[in-house]
Amino acid sequence: MIRAEGLHKAFGPKQVLRGVSFEVPKGQSLVVIGGSGTGKSVLLKCLLGLERADRGTVDLAGLTNPTPHAVAPHVGMLFQGAALFDSLPVWQNVAFRLMRGTGRMGRVEAKALAVEKLARVGLGPEVAELFPAELSGGMQKRVGLARAIAGDPPILFFDEPTAGLDPIMSAVINALIRGIVTELGATALTITHDMRTVRDVADRVAMLHEGVFHWQGPAAEAFGSHDPVLRQFTEGRTEGPIPTLR
Amino acid sequence: MNPVATLGATGRGMAGALGALGRFVGFTGQALGWMLRPPFHLREVAAQLVQIGWLSLPVVGMTALFTGAALALQIFAGSARYGAEFAVPSITAIGMVRELGPVLGGLMVAARVASSIAAEIGTMKVSEQLDALKTLAVEPMQFLTVPRLVAATLAMPVLVAVGDSIGILGGYAVGVTRLGFDGPTYLRNTLDFLEFWDIASGLVKGAVFGFLVALSGCYFGMHSGRGAQGVGEATKSAVVLASVLILAANYLLTEAFFSA
Ligand SMILES: Nc1ncnc2c1ncn2[C@@H]1O[C@H](COP(=O)(O)OP(=O)(O)OP(=O)(O)O)[C@@H](O)[C@H]1O
Ligand SMILES: [Mg+2]
Repeated sequence: MIRAEGLHKAFGPKQVLRGVSFEVPKGQSLVVIGGSGTGKSVLLKCLLGLERADRGTVDLAGLTNPTPHAVAPHVGMLFQGAALFDSLPVWQNVAFRLMRGTGRMGRVEAKALAVEKLARVGLGPEVAELFPAELSGGMQKRVGLARAIAGDPPILFFDEPTAGLDPIMSAVINALIRGIVTELGATALTITHDMRTVRDVADRVAMLHEGVFHWQGPAAEAFGSHDPVLRQFTEGRTEGPIPTLR
Repeated sequence: MNPVATLGATGRGMAGALGALGRFVGFTGQALGWMLRPPFHLREVAAQLVQIGWLSLPVVGMTALFTGAALALQIFAGSARYGAEFAVPSITAIGMVRELGPVLGGLMVAARVASSIAAEIGTMKVSEQLDALKTLAVEPMQFLTVPRLVAATLAMPVLVAVGDSIGILGGYAVGVTRLGFDGPTYLRNTLDFLEFWDIASGLVKGAVFGFLVALSGCYFGMHSGRGAQGVGEATKSAVVLASVLILAANYLLTEAFFSA
């Protein structure tokens, strides 16, 4: 379960989060949408304890306001910029978690598993030996996704998993995330600007606007909603309550 | 300028400097604490021994060679005034082993290693790799800082020992080819006058300098600002701080060894 209550976060005078509250029950998928620069990535970092929220509580994997280290065994995270370790080849990036800590795997076993995870994000075994700098942006993103899901953590965070991917690959990734939630019973929070991802992945949708979840509800209601803010956003119109200069 | 404003500005400047010093000391304490806690990332230590130690050998060796050669000439120029040219081999060796080997070696390693550590860790910070490490249950202090501190502290005395030997050889080459010394006599004079403590004090200096180099690199890398500019700033600061710390520590250690 992922739960947040009244999260506030400011950078200097700039108030980014002004009381974000929500809950994702175990085995459910929440998709968060919202304008560029509204604080979606900051929200993820606050949930994981990578940024300290100014106010509010986070409950994650049964821990209250946990440190990144405490939740690490339970969560997988795909960073917006992939954040691959550029000193390690792709397969060691993916197998990073598997080769460390208690119950760590041997090199051969870990590599086999890494290749398998790479296949699930549409990358062939020849990619395994390359270094992150040798990959395209979309390939890096998918390696980051493979790293997040390696070790099958029960809670997953994806920051724009399909950004920079072609439509076919986006569909593969959406199906993968949906499958992990439905078949493996994982709990997922996905940030996206891709309405197709919203349709394919979400059980519930939340829209971050002006520092709070302006709208949240079942995925089925998100697209037919009469809320002017949500509507402008999902339909991608320039006229409406959301300014284009921000 | 208004004296109250000047006083206020001076006060703020000093408070800023004290704050920075406090953060650096705090970081050092944290790093030492992490050093004692398992897990120990031995593979990282080995990789850093290669990076910091092995790959610094050419730079340190070249520095020592030319320094030893120049030193022998200078000491000859000075000692000839007293008719004490016979002292050239021993004083060259003592100067190299006690002072110039560790200090110049340390400064060269500061230029090479403090910069690369700060740039590498700073880039990792800027591209969220440090955050990624944390979400994978690995503490960056333990995984990045500790191996670099350990490797630099271990590698630097070895580099100093190699540098000392090459420096003495540089002096020997000049002594024999330019100053008319007899080869075997030059070497005998060098070895007979060198004491154990001359060498040991230089190696201790090396270990301390190695630690300071890695510490500065890691500190500024971990506290790097955002973007390319932040990393550039961190790299520069790491080299400057490492160099100043080496020179300051060198004086303090020399005082300590001198009185001992
Ligand atoms: N470390 C930081 N220091 C200062 N400001 C920050 C920091 N991190 C984020 N911000 C600010 O917080 C705001 C929200 O940033 P965030 O990255 O969360 O946006 P986002 O909603 O993820 O946008 P996008 O969809 O473009 O990724 C931005 O205005 C950004 O400038
Ligand atoms: Mg973002």
